[in-house]
Amino acid sequence: MKRPAGTGGAGPDAAARRSTELGLVTLAVILAAGGYVLTALAKGARLPANLAPFAAGAAGLALVAHLAVRRFAPRADGTLLGLAVLLNGIGFVVIARLDPDLARYQSLWTAVGIAAFVATLAAVRRVTDLQRYRYTFALLGIASLLLPAVPGIGQDINGARLWVHLGPLNFQPGEAAKVLLVIFLAAYLVEKRELLSTPTWRVGPVMLPDPKHFAPLLLAWGGSILVMVRETDLGSSLLFFAVFLAMLYIATARASYLGVGTALFVAGATLAYHAFGHVRERVTTWINPWPTADSHGYQLVQALFAFGSGGFAGTGLGLGSPGKIPNAATDFVYAAIGEELGLIGTTAVLLIYLLFIGVGFRIALRAEQPFLKLLAAGLTTILGVQTFIILGGVTRLIPLTGITMPFVSYGGSSLVANFVILALLLRISDEVSRRTDADADAAAPAATGARR
Amino acid sequence: MSMNRQVRRVGIVVVVLFLALFVQLNYLQVVKAHSLANNPRNVRAVVRDYSEPRGAILTNDGVVVARSVPVDDEFERLRTYPTGPLFAHTSGFFSFTLGASGVEDAYNSDLSGRNLDRQFHNIGDWLIGKEETGDVVLSLSNAAQEAARDALGNRKGSVVALDPSTGEILALWSYPSYDPGPLADHSPKAVQAAYDGYTHDPDNPMLARAYRERYPPGSTFKIVTASTAIETGTANPQSRFPVLRFLALPQSDKQLHNFGDEACGGTMADAFRVSCNTTFAQVGLDLGEKLVDGMKAFGITEDVPFDLPEARASGPAAGTFEHNKPSFANAAIGQGDVAVTPLQMAMVAGAIANGGVLMAPHVAKKIRDPDGRVIRTIGPTVWRRAVSATTAAALTQMMIDVVKRGTGTAAAIPGVTVAGKTGTAENPGGAPHAWFVAFAPAEAPRFAVAVIVEHGGDLGDEATGGRVAAPVAQKVLAKLLSLPGPTTTTTAPGQPNLPSTTTGRPPGGR
Repeated sequence: MKRPAGTGGAGPDAAARRSTELGLVTLAVILAAGGYVLTALAKGARLPANLAPFAAGAAGLALVAHLAVRRFAPRADGTLLGLAVLLNGIGFVVIARLDPDLARYQSLWTAVGIAAFVATLAAVRRVTDLQRYRYTFALLGIASLLLPAVPGIGQDINGARLWVHLGPLNFQPGEAAKVLLVIFLAAYLVEKRELLSTPTWRVGPVMLPDPKHFAPLLLAWGGSILVMVRETDLGSSLLFFAVFLAMLYIATARASYLGVGTALFVAGATLAYHAFGHVRERVTTWINPWPTADSHGYQLVQALFAFGSGGFAGTGLGLGSPGKIPNAATDFVYAAIGEELGLIGTTAVLLIYLLFIGVGFRIALRAEQPFLKLLAAGLTTILGVQTFIILGGVTRLIPLTGITMPFVSYGGSSLVANFVILALLLRISDEVSRRTDADADAAAPAATGARR
Repeated sequence: MSMNRQVRRVGIVVVVLFLALFVQLNYLQVVKAHSLANNPRNVRAVVRDYSEPRGAILTNDGVVVARSVPVDDEFERLRTYPTGPLFAHTSGFFSFTLGASGVEDAYNSDLSGRNLDRQFHNIGDWLIGKEETGDVVLSLSNAAQEAARDALGNRKGSVVALDPSTGEILALWSYPSYDPGPLADHSPKAVQAAYDGYTHDPDNPMLARAYRERYPPGSTFKIVTASTAIETGTANPQSRFPVLRFLALPQSDKQLHNFGDEACGGTMADAFRVSCNTTFAQVGLDLGEKLVDGMKAFGITEDVPFDLPEARASGPAAGTFEHNKPSFANAAIGQGDVAVTPLQMAMVAGAIANGGVLMAPHVAKKIRDPDGRVIRTIGPTVWRRAVSATTAAALTQMMIDVVKRGTGTAAAIPGVTVAGKTGTAENPGGAPHAWFVAFAPAEAPRFAVAVIVEHGGDLGDEATGGRVAAPVAQKVLAKLLSLPGPTTTTTAPGQPNLPSTTTGRPPGGR
């Protein structure tokens, strides 16, 4: 069955995973190129002029990512990269259909994202080492959150102050903060989870741990949420809140945190509702967008029209009018998919995310080291919850809060952050497989040198 | 302490959240899809219609009247009208804000390719999503239309030219006209501004005078009166009528005067040549109710099977002769209750030219696919027999005399026999309208025209159809006769288009 582990060799399992990955990535690139061609054909009986550079670029980037995995994480899961490339490809096709200029930037950002992906794989040789820099990450995370508030470099876009403007570069440091803070949380919670799960005092019916251990957590979390509320980035606030809560629960197994967290959330939401006009607006629009269909409710109503007009099968790529939806390439890209690809397309995208998240959680489940487990779970939760927040928002399942759709939306910072998350998940997967493969080798009769 | 239980639970929560998303998507894209797609605020359906590929409108001599060009906005295509106002009243406009009119409306299913006739020629076309739109080729030619425009100049009025044997309209000009381009703009504000500009213009440039405005036809209507009299045996060209300065109308103390208060009469042919009112008023009184039937035979007061929405003409009502004889006397000379479109007068001339057979008029000639293959041809269709061939031949001779030595000498073309009739129509709006209807060559008619100059143009009250309108008709006919090419190929001279089922017409007699 399993060949004894060679010297640094990845073994047949790894080879199979990499072949699977290459196959899936190829398929994803073909699907994206197919979508690109279909979009062009919708406009006339002519192939897109830049099909060759597009296909070559997409295949080249995907190949670079694949080779990087082969080199730096040969035993990693074979499906994640393919799924990410597919999401990225679908997003690119839709963005190119909406705005060819944005698509040019998006291809540039994808290249940067892949570069960040390769860099992360190359730099993080042992994921557990990240634990050492946890406070650095926390500081960096908070600092990036504060960056947009700094006069001179901060910039308001769409009413939210999330952007940093440095020379020709615009980016949203909140996206970096999301990764940094999850690493911090994973490391901190692993260190303190015993203490945090031991209640020392009670408030009413709720048992709480020693405030000494709890305080830094509360500080990091509360601080980041306050900053984001200040910058009116409600989507990210909600995301942080949810991820923090999930990680706290996973680390401590204490359901009471969920209770306290939910209570805090309700309190915070009520406060935000009364304190901020734009929050009230979002909620009113969510409850009934029709009376304000020409003002506050406009973009949501346009998104609903897009979903409805798409119906079951969609209008076909390039044949709908997703240009009617404001921000169709960024926050509302799912509505554009819904219009042109229909329920079939939206469900397919949902399934791709579910597969991605499923693989992410499987990596977490298989990890033995608590830090790896918590980090994998945290990163996966970020992706899952972020996807839910934006998809729920544009489909009017929950109040709309602006946030990007991972891998799909136009947006450089988001794309880079998501590729870093992907790289970290693959590195964790690789480390986990290295151990389990080694265990399996040890269990085999021909194995040399027992390991425990 | 393993954290796997919690990881699984968080995973389950995420899956449940995604299931909720799936349910909501089904609600939006299946349950509510129809009402969302058809919500009045959802302009997608309309935008789709206006962004679809759309065929061009071309003249018979190949000039592009309307075509869609790619643009970089949500509609993807902009409808443009390279000929500007020249064909506006025929092509109409195709506007996101205002809808469509003219050929753009009447042939919409052909232009958009939604016509049931259309078929994919092969699977390859279908696979590459070939645009299966249709181009509408008009029967109008750019040369004829320009001749009509130039001949009328900047006088309000209209010129209609048609092929009497096929019903093909060759020129359909109304002045003033408008540019349909701004109405097809994608900015609703720009469209509204242009539209307001046109509609607030006192000259009403959007009015297609040629087929949407009704005028008293004046003496040109004597063709109908004389034809009906001959057809019914009430009178013939040699029937004699008293020479009068005015006719005392029955049932009233009113008198019907001749133009310029002159005295005229004699044979009906003579009276026709000099356009004697008293004679034809008398013919009208002699005809009585038969005049109503005669008008009907020429299609006046009927719905014309025209491919654009024509204004229906009017005349005295049937059964009213006995208690309103003066209205019949007035109607017989094209005044009073009679109101017709210039197109209708061209059809009257055309019926006489075509041996008494009235062809259904049409502005479109054929529909072509993008490769130039003809998908469908329009006409020729016989609408009805207006008068017998003998009657038509008699009228032709009377009309030849009008141009030879009557009121219409200004329409004469050297070397060509022109048949015509003048009209000077009194109207409540001011100076009389100057009319002229004609066809040529009289021996083997190829073209029939009707010209109206509202209020006689710059000659004001001094105008007569013979002095103002006849020269316009002359120029247009001369131009048409000089043209080679498609407008002349459809009809072989001397071979009038008549179905074998038509009876009562001796071969070659017209």
